[in-house]
Amino acid sequence: MGRLIPVILLRWEETLQWQRVSGTAPTVQCLCEPLFADLAREVSRSGPEMMAARHLLLLLCQACLLLETGSFAAAPPLSASEAPLEGPHFTACLSREQETFRCWWSAGSFRNLSEPGALRVFFLKKNSLSRNWMECPDYTATVPNECYFNKSYTSIWTSYCLQLRSRHHNVTYDERCFNVEDIVHPDPPVSLNWTLLNVSRSGLHFDIIVRWEPPPSADVKAGWMSLIYEVQYRERNTSHWEVLDLETSTQQSIYGLHTNVEYEVRVRCKMRAFDNFGQFSDSIVVHVPVKVHNKESTFPVTVVFIFGVVGLAILFMLIIFSHQQKLMVILLPPVPAPKIKGIDPDLLKKGRLDELSSVLSSHPLCKAEMYREEPWVEFIELDLEGMDTAEKTGCSDTQRLLGLAPHLGSSHRLAVKDGDLGRASCYEPELLEADPAAAAAFCLRSQEMAVTSPEPQTERFAPDTGPAPDGIPDSRPVIQTQLSTQSSISMDFYAQVSDVTPLGGVVLSPGQQVRGPGEKGEGGDGQPLKNQKEGQKKEGGGVGEKEVPFPLLIVAPDSGAYTSELGTRQIGSDCSRGEAFQDPPAEMPQPPTEKNAVQQFALIVPPAGEYQSPYFLPPAPQLPPVADYTVVQDVDAQQSLLLNPSTPPPPNMAPVKPQPAMPVGYLTPDLLGNISL
Amino acid sequence: MFRKLKGPVLFLLMFLDVQIIVGSTPICVHGHTGCQALSLADLFDRVIQHSARVHGLSSDLHSDFDQYFLPSKINRNCHTSYILTPNGKENAQRLAGEDLAGVILKLLLAWRDPLSQFHRSMAQHEDFTSFSGNKALEMSDMVQQLRLGVERVAETMHLLGMISNSVRGLISKEALGSQASGSEARSMTDQQLLYCFRRDSHKIQIYLKILKCRIAPEQGC
Repeated sequence: MGRLIPVILLRWEETLQWQRVSGTAPTVQCLCEPLFADLAREVSRSGPEMMAARHLLLLLCQACLLLETGSFAAAPPLSASEAPLEGPHFTACLSREQETFRCWWSAGSFRNLSEPGALRVFFLKKNSLSRNWMECPDYTATVPNECYFNKSYTSIWTSYCLQLRSRHHNVTYDERCFNVEDIVHPDPPVSLNWTLLNVSRSGLHFDIIVRWEPPPSADVKAGWMSLIYEVQYRERNTSHWEVLDLETSTQQSIYGLHTNVEYEVRVRCKMRAFDNFGQFSDSIVVHVPVKVHNKESTFPVTVVFIFGVVGLAILFMLIIFSHQQKLMVILLPPVPAPKIKGIDPDLLKKGRLDELSSVLSSHPLCKAEMYREEPWVEFIELDLEGMDTAEKTGCSDTQRLLGLAPHLGSSHRLAVKDGDLGRASCYEPELLEADPAAAAAFCLRSQEMAVTSPEPQTERFAPDTGPAPDGIPDSRPVIQTQLSTQSSISMDFYAQVSDVTPLGGVVLSPGQQVRGPGEKGEGGDGQPLKNQKEGQKKEGGGVGEKEVPFPLLIVAPDSGAYTSELGTRQIGSDCSRGEAFQDPPAEMPQPPTEKNAVQQFALIVPPAGEYQSPYFLPPAPQLPPVADYTVVQDVDAQQSLLLNPSTPPPPNMAPVKPQPAMPVGYLTPDLLGNISL
Repeated sequence: MFRKLKGPVLFLLMFLDVQIIVGSTPICVHGHTGCQALSLADLFDRVIQHSARVHGLSSDLHSDFDQYFLPSKINRNCHTSYILTPNGKENAQRLAGEDLAGVILKLLLAWRDPLSQFHRSMAQHEDFTSFSGNKALEMSDMVQQLRLGVERVAETMHLLGMISNSVRGLISKEALGSQASGSEARSMTDQQLLYCFRRDSHKIQIYLKILKCRIAPEQGC
């Protein structure tokens, strides 16, 4: 870098000197000259720390000077010189074909030198041995201020120096030195034409190939000049030319032109490895009018699109209908039916009764209502032994119930609450309310236990009924009695529930046969039914087949005798029936009766395997009314039993009278004593 | 210098296995089979491409030098000035092919040493970028290859009967003349060297072109 500073300065000096000598400003004015001058001074003063500034200055200088030198030999003589009071100078020197060259000058501001002949050109060929300046061989006549050097005077690869002198050789206004090959500006190419290569499918673009001929003046055929070409094109009314790469051959293809747009194309050339371009050729117009057939081009696309969509739809449908199960589930998942709480009305219409009963029992509403009834239902405990003895003695059932039989001890008691396993648990209101099903199950279990050991139960009766007054019939383990072999006997103590009202009331009908939870238990019912039949036949024939699905205890308020409806079996009021009670115990098989008993308690205890439908009351054939018992017609809103007044009380059942006027209500054990039989 | 050159050149020529096929010659050494047979036109094309490349390099280097150095008063007398070269189109066309080839070869031969010297000096310049240094190296290498190529062309022409003198005769004649210019070459400055070489490479290019278009004007003319 050390030697660049003086170089810059020296260059500056030269530039300024050249300007002074030539008296001309460069055709491309270097605007940064004053700046350079200042910078040059600065650079010379400063030390090594101004490296960057020096570099910048260097670059600027070079740019300026290159522009100057480059434009020195460009082109056609330009008349103007922009600096005032400029002396005569050479404007341009150029060669067209590297065989001859011309030079032009201007007088500048010196108007007195404008006339022809005032200025003279002398040249010197450096390679020649002679050092004489020769005058211009040919001052062109037609063109003023032009000196033409023909072939004989033109030597390539030799250095020429030209001087512009005044007429009388004493003043040299300008001097230029150059080599001829450095001032060659080839003529523009000729015969420019274009050919359409193709048009794009859309009809919007096209490609062309442009061909031309080298300038005729340039002897390319002999190999004297090697030209390379530059093609430019633009749209018709725009100002920006697109420049393509230099081309060695005399053709160029242009791609991506727009149809229906006019283009201008022009070519120029230069010598290879040199920088002087020639003039541009005349522009040619390229225009490709294309009718855009939009419909034709888009029509097949539309058709293809439609067909594609239709095909896809058909395929889709085929897939759906072919693989129904899998894909239907995948594509169209089954909509879950709404789960509505409540009872399906269809079931009510056409469902079977057992189903309905199960539904109703499982319904919380029904359950609640049913179990609301529970506290109002009392279990009347019966003492079977007492009953037996009473029968033997011919006592009425009522009496037996009330425990008035002499043999009956303290076992007769309307035990509201006892410590017995089965009864107590059944009776406990909270237990009943809370879990009626459990209570019923417990009852059932206890009944079963009672079945297995009927005697102990009866024995158990005794202590329980100890405190009971003698007068009170022991209406205890109704359940147990029912479960026991004396199921038929127990049947007689109870009226048959004929119907259940929506409110939860149970309608009792004496002698009615209630079909049990029915069909399922037929097998089991067979034997007990037989027993029942026998028992009932003994009763008086009016008793048909009986089933005991519902254990329901309903106390008839009007009669002194308790009408316990634990069994649906009609309870015979006469002694004959009581006899019938005695029969079954001999015949009581264990398991079936259990089952039968189970069925009897269907109201409270859902029989094992049976539906839980305490309200199931298929219409049962009417049995001859039992005198001792009245049929509970209904349970009114006050939770009192309404007995059927139509039933004629048997003579023995004197106390049994329809008494609607009787205070309807809950017959408590306390009141029992007041009831007169 | 001639004595120095004679040995390697002769050695080289001994190994040239030129088979004469009318209009085509295989570029094969040691008689390798399967060599591609090249026509004279192809040889010329290759050589002309080489010369174009050389000339381009020389122009670039010359302009690079001008950026850094003033276009000082260059001694326009190059060391190859003694070689008589046609300075005009007519003169060049009037010249026989043989003479033209001889001129080319002389020029190429004359520039072999100065260019290698120039490359060595370029490496020592701290002002030049490596790019210029690479150009100088490539230039000197290409000149050597160009020379070999032209020799091959001359050989082919001779074998084809176009020229009477062989390369050997051409070289031997001019080698004498080049000896005198050896000292001049060493005293050249880099800038002068580049100026001179640029001029001479242009000469070589044009001469080759003229020769080619005269002998095989198929394409590129």
